[in-house]
Amino acid sequence: MSSLQGRTLAQGVTLAPLSEDVEEWGGAREHDELFELNFGPHHPATHGVLRLIVTLQGEVVVEVKPIIGYVHTGIEKTAEDKSYWKVIPVLERMDYLSYYFNAMAFCSATERLLELEVPERAQYLRVIHLELNRIMSHLVWLGTSALDLGAISIFWYCFREREAILDLFEMSSGQRMHTRYFQVGGVIEDIPRGFERKLRQFLKVMPARADQYADILNANEIVLQRLRGTCPLSAERLLALGVSGPLLRAAGVPWDLRKATPYSSYERFDFKIPVGTAGDNYDRYAVRHAEIYESVKIIEQALDGLPEGPHITPDRKVSLPPRHELATSMEALIHHFKLVTEGFRVPAGEAYVPIESPRGELACFVRSDGSSKPARVHMRDPSFVNLQALSEMVRGSYIADMIATVAMLDPVLGGIDR
Amino acid sequence: MAEAQLPVSVWSPGEDVVEVRRAPAPGAARSFTRAFLETLRGLKTTFARVIEGPVTIQYPEEKVPVYPRFRGRHRLHRFEESGLEKCVGCSLCAAACPADCIRVVAAENTPEHRVSAGERYAAVYEINLSRCIFCGYCEVACPFDAITMGHDYELSDYDRSDLIFTKEMLLAEPLERTPLRREDE
Repeated sequence: MSSLQGRTLAQGVTLAPLSEDVEEWGGAREHDELFELNFGPHHPATHGVLRLIVTLQGEVVVEVKPIIGYVHTGIEKTAEDKSYWKVIPVLERMDYLSYYFNAMAFCSATERLLELEVPERAQYLRVIHLELNRIMSHLVWLGTSALDLGAISIFWYCFREREAILDLFEMSSGQRMHTRYFQVGGVIEDIPRGFERKLRQFLKVMPARADQYADILNANEIVLQRLRGTCPLSAERLLALGVSGPLLRAAGVPWDLRKATPYSSYERFDFKIPVGTAGDNYDRYAVRHAEIYESVKIIEQALDGLPEGPHITPDRKVSLPPRHELATSMEALIHHFKLVTEGFRVPAGEAYVPIESPRGELACFVRSDGSSKPARVHMRDPSFVNLQALSEMVRGSYIADMIATVAMLDPVLGGIDR
Repeated sequence: MAEAQLPVSVWSPGEDVVEVRRAPAPGAARSFTRAFLETLRGLKTTFARVIEGPVTIQYPEEKVPVYPRFRGRHRLHRFEESGLEKCVGCSLCAAACPADCIRVVAAENTPEHRVSAGERYAAVYEINLSRCIFCGYCEVACPFDAITMGHDYELSDYDRSDLIFTKEMLLAEPLERTPLRREDE
């Protein structure tokens, strides 16, 4: 049996040398034996139905193998059977914490195939909702992660603010999750009266709330013990593993697709990319926490500069005609029937559009064969790619640190399994 | 420092990078005072929330009002004056449904038996709410405003077959009204 005895492990954990009298007990050496632990799939600390086969030596993780596929729903295959606009509500359900991002990636890819221009107002409305969604996703992550570290009040605080965001989503789109608000060519409806006032109230409150989370967590001794210096991974390894998003930025690589390849008018907003230095769990926490403030800044700018104009492309071959035209215009009615029954046809070709989701590079690949249904839809989900770094991060550290690392990894199993 | 770590430095965000606050370094004496002071700061933060009052809503006694755009259980509608059904059985809602949960079988109106305002009416109109994903595409698709998303959200039942809503159930007024917000509330 392989032994890690006496070796100083990556995390600075040195195993105590065995005393000789252990053998007198007749058993195997207490800490020499490898122990295989089945962790999950139903465990509150796995953030979904993730199963981890953990090989332990004493309390130290020797190897960890993630087993996935428990919530595989075949959404990519389902999408091939549906016309483009019907794919959107289905696709949103993959990564269930970043539904606006899923829709955005798919709509952008389809728009690229159609060579469709999205009106400016729609772009700004998209940015507002994307960034609200990012804050919401980070709040769920922060709340549940803090719960893993033993802090329960943060969970309530985060979900209180999340509630405010979900109220805003309900106000503008009619649903709190899986809103199908984004459509190919724009957004389905303009924001209602009173939305701006309510959003501004929220934007005023949110930074103060984020300050409160920081007051509780930033220098708390338990949080420091659990996060500081635990399970770091170098930028080189993270890049080699294809990791993106806050995990990569925590290791010091300022890679953010909103800046690197701006989409949906992101180049017009002034915001910073928070990066870490050590790439440990504390930096992963700090980067996401700092991103909440940046998102608030972006929403404020988008709301101030919200241009007037149509909220969806006026191209009648793609977007549904306005409802009042259905009663008066025969042409509108024909377009309406055609779009609802068959959907719009998309020229043959392929498109791959990456966007920056709360977890990293979320990209949608769409191949069209010229019909009204996509021939292939594939999502590059950041949680899936990021998960493969878990094993390298936690090897040689305590099992308690593995819990913290899974929390800081922020995997969403709906996105991983699809 | 940050850019030096990039193996492939093709793109740099320049000024737009901000380094996050590092965790305070461990140290025996400082750690002790910090542990004490930071715990107090955390307690101050939590106790300060007491004056804000509870945010808990006593559901189900107290219900959260929904917004006008909220998409709850579907409703079918009639014309107020004539009492005729608005639905003409065109099946556009069924065509638009991504979850394939709507079933429509149309029949002809006759002078003796007039159900809807159009030529045809829906003889069978069923929505399987256990499949429905509440995307609201049926409402968007309907050219006659015959089907709309209502505001009811308490839909659980003991039997799956009870979740298949028939035309009569969808036409009926809901037993209990869900409180509704004004648009700008």
